[in-house]
Amino acid sequence: MEEWKPNPAVKPHKKRSWYLAWKYKLMNQRALRKLCQTGAVLFLLVTVIVNIKLILDTRRAAYEEEEESAQDYDDEMLNVEVPRHPVNNKKVLDVEVYSSRSKVYVAVDGTTVLEDEAREQGRGIHVIVLNQATGHVMAKRVFDTYSPHEDEAMVLFLNMVARGRILIFTIKDEGSFHLKDTAKSVLKSLGSQVAPFLSWRDMWTFVGKKGGEVYGEKHAKSPALSTWGDPVLLKTEVHLTSVEDAECHWPDTELNRRRKRFCSKVEGYGSVCSCKDPTPIEFNPDPLKDNKVFDVPVAVIAGNRPNYLYRMLRSLLSAQGVNPQMITVFIDGYYEEPMDVVELFGLSGIQHTPISIKNARVSQHYKASLTATFNLFPDAKFAVVLEEDLDISVDFFSFLSQSIHLLEEDESLYCISAWNDQGYEHTAEDPSLLYRVETMPGLGWVLRKSLYKDELEPKWPTPEKLWDWDMWMRMPEQRKGRECIIPDISRSYHFGIVGLNMNGYFHEAYFKKHKFNTVPNVQLKNVESLRKDAYETEIHRLLGEAEVLDHSKNPCEDSFVPDTEGKVYVMFIRMEQEADFTTWTQLAKCLHIWDLDVRGNHKGLWRLFRKKNHFLVVGVPASPYSSKKPSSVTPIYMEPPAKEEGAAAVPAVAAAEQT
Amino acid sequence: HVVRKFLGLISSHNIPVYLIDPLILGLVDKDIEQIRSSPDGPSPECKYFCAPRDFTTFALLDKTWKHEVGLFRTAEKMGFQWLKIINKDPRLDGMDDLSGMEIPLHYIFKLASHAIHLVVFYERSGNYLWHGPLRLKQHMDRKFVPFRKLHFGRYPGAYEKPELLHVSIDDLKVQIPKNPSSFLEEMSHSRFLECRYREARAFFQLYPDDASLDAVEFRIKAKSLLHLAALTLNNLGVKFWLSSGTCLGWYRQCNVIPHSKDVDLGIFIRDYKAEIIPAFQKAGLPLKHKFGKVEDSLELSFQGEEDVKLDIFFFYEEEDHIWNGGTQAKSGKKFKYFFPKFTLCWTEFVELKVHVPCETLQYVEANYGPDWKVPVKVWDWKSSPSNVQDNGVWPVDEWDDVIQIY
Repeated sequence: MEEWKPNPAVKPHKKRSWYLAWKYKLMNQRALRKLCQTGAVLFLLVTVIVNIKLILDTRRAAYEEEEESAQDYDDEMLNVEVPRHPVNNKKVLDVEVYSSRSKVYVAVDGTTVLEDEAREQGRGIHVIVLNQATGHVMAKRVFDTYSPHEDEAMVLFLNMVARGRILIFTIKDEGSFHLKDTAKSVLKSLGSQVAPFLSWRDMWTFVGKKGGEVYGEKHAKSPALSTWGDPVLLKTEVHLTSVEDAECHWPDTELNRRRKRFCSKVEGYGSVCSCKDPTPIEFNPDPLKDNKVFDVPVAVIAGNRPNYLYRMLRSLLSAQGVNPQMITVFIDGYYEEPMDVVELFGLSGIQHTPISIKNARVSQHYKASLTATFNLFPDAKFAVVLEEDLDISVDFFSFLSQSIHLLEEDESLYCISAWNDQGYEHTAEDPSLLYRVETMPGLGWVLRKSLYKDELEPKWPTPEKLWDWDMWMRMPEQRKGRECIIPDISRSYHFGIVGLNMNGYFHEAYFKKHKFNTVPNVQLKNVESLRKDAYETEIHRLLGEAEVLDHSKNPCEDSFVPDTEGKVYVMFIRMEQEADFTTWTQLAKCLHIWDLDVRGNHKGLWRLFRKKNHFLVVGVPASPYSSKKPSSVTPIYMEPPAKEEGAAAVPAVAAAEQT
Repeated sequence: HVVRKFLGLISSHNIPVYLIDPLILGLVDKDIEQIRSSPDGPSPECKYFCAPRDFTTFALLDKTWKHEVGLFRTAEKMGFQWLKIINKDPRLDGMDDLSGMEIPLHYIFKLASHAIHLVVFYERSGNYLWHGPLRLKQHMDRKFVPFRKLHFGRYPGAYEKPELLHVSIDDLKVQIPKNPSSFLEEMSHSRFLECRYREARAFFQLYPDDASLDAVEFRIKAKSLLHLAALTLNNLGVKFWLSSGTCLGWYRQCNVIPHSKDVDLGIFIRDYKAEIIPAFQKAGLPLKHKFGKVEDSLELSFQGEEDVKLDIFFFYEEEDHIWNGGTQAKSGKKFKYFFPKFTLCWTEFVELKVHVPCETLQYVEANYGPDWKVPVKVWDWKSSPSNVQDNGVWPVDEWDDVIQIY
């Protein structure tokens, strides 16, 4: 293990001998079974009265046990160094592909590279990409084409796969319901005869080379709506090409060596592996003048979503003022592909053995990552915390560089965050404007080391507590009345649609229309006025200048705010005490902003934009700014709907309850 | 000449190394005034670098440098053979279940009969620099250089961050530690012990950690008390080490033992200074009691935040053992705790660079017996330790002096 170097060319042989060992084991097993059988027959002869059924059952159990122990053996085999044979004596891969209602598997040269028989998951079309020279698995995806839009994702993926790669398809359960014509014709162009006619609950397997020959296809039609097609098993052979033919011939530079290593291992990253015109992997964005965050470590928290990580790191490394040496990617689990992505960009990555489950697993991963970050950079006073499903604004570091001194000097601050929970396309306007808010938005934020080391780390929720780290951080025991600084227009964009608390619907409703700054070098305008006391002065000034809106109108209507630009308006809503968010929640709902819990408030005040006017909402009488309300104005009250809202987004509702 | 070539190589790659070779620094130290006053002056002969030696040793601060690939290619073109020694990153070692990339600890560049040993220093929590041990892996060429003669790498080491000085010696521009003699002094006892993280993990498997709020808060208090004590003693220049329960906590579980209720430090009586008590009082830690006297069984106890107490035991060196004393306030009884002789090593504990006895196992076993691995909640300092002996009674007329309780 010591000197092991990745040598993709050797792989199939390793597998082959491994396969032989397995086969040998199987034969052994057969002998064993025979012995069992003979024994059973003898047993029968001696004791005639024994129930046959019982014996059969016993035999089955024994067989199953043997199978299990064989599997254990297999696992051990993986760690054994296998003698390497020259590359040339093996040019053919045996491929087996199985498709059925409840199980799919793919075996390459006897090695199972995909096996999915879990209930109620893995539905749709499974795709595996093999390297045409080594037989190495380069990508494994499943597209739930029973559901809408997944076929588009599949087309996107297939288009990104390089020509010459070997593609393996198999359907589990159902894969045709939302498989649209575009997708079908892409499959057809890959050589599939059946794809254009795939229909409800058909079983299907296909093996072919992208832009080349077809190695096999099998299909079983579903006889009726209520039943599935019979399972199909496709066995075929794939001829390997030479390594030379499978690789691009980029000029030999350090960067291209990284690229080559990456591109021979994984697939589905598009132009980064293009032979002719590969997209750059080094970005050299402009440095920032007087960059105050150049030496601040950046922790990227990642799981096993390598495509997300790839997109995220691209945007991070393109941001002005980025310092790649300070970036560490923390991967939750021993996943190879995210590490490949990290290495492609020449960054450092750390893998973390998962501890606990679900939310607690994420929490423990966060803790380990933050502790490690401050261990690796013991001089740092801060750390930037990012997640793998964020785009980073081009002026992210410029934004932080201009504001970080506040976090150092103002003890009433909890964090600086790049994310404005209420900053949607229709409610955010000014890239140079910052707010103070009582909530902790996360999604790209700066953590003070002293806060972490002296307060958070010692008390961090232990693995058995299934808490969300961010919910925990938002609890009053932790936050202690401190606030975060956020921009009006977010400097991060949350693009992830698969995640622990995330799904397509939820993303569309709450994240898709979020505003994201794309303007470089924005000069922030009111930085000093963000300090604790100065901010109060600023708010009073704003409220003094604000025009009171017509409270007889419906605040949900567009006409509630006049058709002006650049003015400041204020409205007053009912808020009986500090925790009364009844009206606010209804208002947030009709304004189509974040309404799942309360975000973005500062002492009963919310600041956003409507029709390019600054729009202030004051909760009366709980807010200290209530005194600004003219006596003639009655605060607006909005009733919550009579019955509980449907389960729009279960995790988020659950999350909101915790707050 | 090899050094000249090497310096050319590293300056062409903008790598800020500094000279730490003890032999050369020793020579330089003799002429330090002259060298300091004429940083650019030409020197008549090759006085420092040219003595026949196998090595010249330089240091490199890891964070000041990254892109190594080009360096080695250039080095090869210049005729250097090189060797890189990598190992686990100790900064992640203490953390459960993290696996980072291995980090370079040492480089050796060889040209003809001379070699450059480049030691990589890492910054660690506790504001100090660390270098790793030099361990060859199986496939490595054991005869690449006479490894045994190297000045660095037998053990890992811990150092303060040095102030550097640009000088010109033998017509070569190099950086050296500003004060070579104190660097050499530091080097002579720089040996560093890593905490036994693996054993600590096994310990917690057996005895799960106390995660109660009380335990969490005690640890926070103990940590800040230890930081304050270290600051105070370091300012006085008094050498101290983790003793008793605090040492056991470090050795057994790499953490403060939550039910230990105090922080224990040891100081050699020869390092005693009268300023210790006022310095602690000034730092906000009032004296709680003082037992014994400088000549015999001295022990100080300071009151930290709330109920956490700082105990300082003074150790007396004898021919073949070391001991410290204890006193029972109400009876005036004296106790003596015996330890085998030990030396001091650096370690990192709760983000602090502190001393512990290098021979920690013997130290802990002397104090806690062979079952030190088993946590004990009830502990009587007069009878529980394995190394305690009755030592008579203080004469009554001395009580006012040797038993002071505040």
